[in-house]
Amino acid sequence: MTSIVFHNPDGASTTLDVADGTTVMRAALGGSVTGIIGECGGQAMCATCHVLVRGDHVDRLPPVGEDEDEMLDCTAELRDPHRSRLGCQIVLSTELDGIEVDLPARQI
Amino acid sequence: MSDAPAAAPAKQIGPIADWVNPAEMAIDPYPSYERLLVQSPVAWVPALNRYLVTGYAECHAIECDQETFTADVGGAGATMKRALGGHPMLRKDDPEHAIERASINPTMRPRMIASHWSEVFTRNAAEYLDELADRGPATAELNRDYASPVASQNLIDLLGLPDVSMETMRRWSHSMIAGIGNVHDDAEIWAESERSRKEIDELLVDLLPHLRSSPDESMTSALANSGMPDESVTANVKLTITGGVNEPQHMITSMVWALSAREDLLSRVRADTSLWPAVFDETARWQSPIGMYPRQTTCATVLGGVELPAGASIGVCVAAANRDARHFGGDPSVFDIDRERLPHLAFGSGVHLCAGQRVARASTGQIAVPMLFDRFPSLRVDPERETRWAGWVFRGITDLPVTWSEQEQQA
Repeated sequence: MTSIVFHNPDGASTTLDVADGTTVMRAALGGSVTGIIGECGGQAMCATCHVLVRGDHVDRLPPVGEDEDEMLDCTAELRDPHRSRLGCQIVLSTELDGIEVDLPARQI
Repeated sequence: MSDAPAAAPAKQIGPIADWVNPAEMAIDPYPSYERLLVQSPVAWVPALNRYLVTGYAECHAIECDQETFTADVGGAGATMKRALGGHPMLRKDDPEHAIERASINPTMRPRMIASHWSEVFTRNAAEYLDELADRGPATAELNRDYASPVASQNLIDLLGLPDVSMETMRRWSHSMIAGIGNVHDDAEIWAESERSRKEIDELLVDLLPHLRSSPDESMTSALANSGMPDESVTANVKLTITGGVNEPQHMITSMVWALSAREDLLSRVRADTSLWPAVFDETARWQSPIGMYPRQTTCATVLGGVELPAGASIGVCVAAANRDARHFGGDPSVFDIDRERLPHLAFGSGVHLCAGQRVARASTGQIAVPMLFDRFPSLRVDPERETRWAGWVFRGITDLPVTWSEQEQQA
């Protein structure tokens, strides 16, 4: 199990423990976290699972793929050059345990 | 989201909607949707021999769970397989669906649209604006003279089909859509649908090997070079032909119809072009071109408090869900581009989210409709001639008479 914390823009936060192999997008939808839409079901085609990764966890993630990079240019809230990722492209595993992400104010 | 009454518990009313009349739905489904949303967002409809799901949360839940709600439907929903002569990705679940879907996604990604397709769509819109001008403001009918030709030509180019005329594409699309909707087994409808299917199959026999040796930007090239069997390639090309003409065509006419009745909004959008995407989305929500599509339960389940047996046929009514006050709040029957931005289901949701969504946004919402009003700022629906709508499974304007000033005609 991997622990993940979602921080909403209003200051509220949700902590979830999810099975390894779950994406951040699926974890949010399964845990009724508001602020993630995940419209395309994880194909990196929609940019509605935009998250901003906190702290040094961002450096532990695999690099941004070409498709993800393209979609991050289409996010409703402006992309952060270092912290922005698509939740559907982050697969949770023990080395990411304790990851915290901020949710943008808008996904569409 | 809280100012609408909650749906009545199914136990009290019973989720059987025996009053639903498909003939009335074909004229205007929205009164029936409203009643279903209030009485039971999941209801058995005897006249359609299936459940209709109208609630936003319930439709969305279906799209998030393809293990319980399969797209590989049987019975009356299986007409698509017959019309297309194969099993397209829209009627498969993951992981089989994902492989086919991944092959076409690159054709329709934002950078590809910006670098390649926008120019093509602009050229096509310009060509048919000239034809619309030739027709003139006394007799122009926007569906026939602009929306349908533009949508058909855009799809010919997107699919990269050589030597196919706009009229042929239109005929193929309409006849196969009629086949998919042919639940009453009309022999003439099947004959026309099968004629189109054969013509497309014959075209692809020569085209696929050619695209394998000389790939291009087209979706057919992406499919041909994906490694999937020819049968799947051709089924998916035909799926695109059925799904890629009517919907953008209906978006063009519906947007023009909505703006024509709202002078202030039209002036605002023409002055601030950043509002076009909001006009597009609100139109897609308010008059969804695809009203309903099928799913089937793989096991007994509970949806919206209603027990469904295994193998239950379900109609996912996204057009109704897009007017669910429990999700949108206020009065969702009102067209309002300034309403709170919330997701809608006009393109579906989840893994089957319309692959052409971004193409449709660009080709119609950013190009075809804005170019139309740039050319003819005074263009409005002609009140002297009749506007006609039709359908509920697929819904849109069939006749949109439009007119514009003589001054702009001379210019």
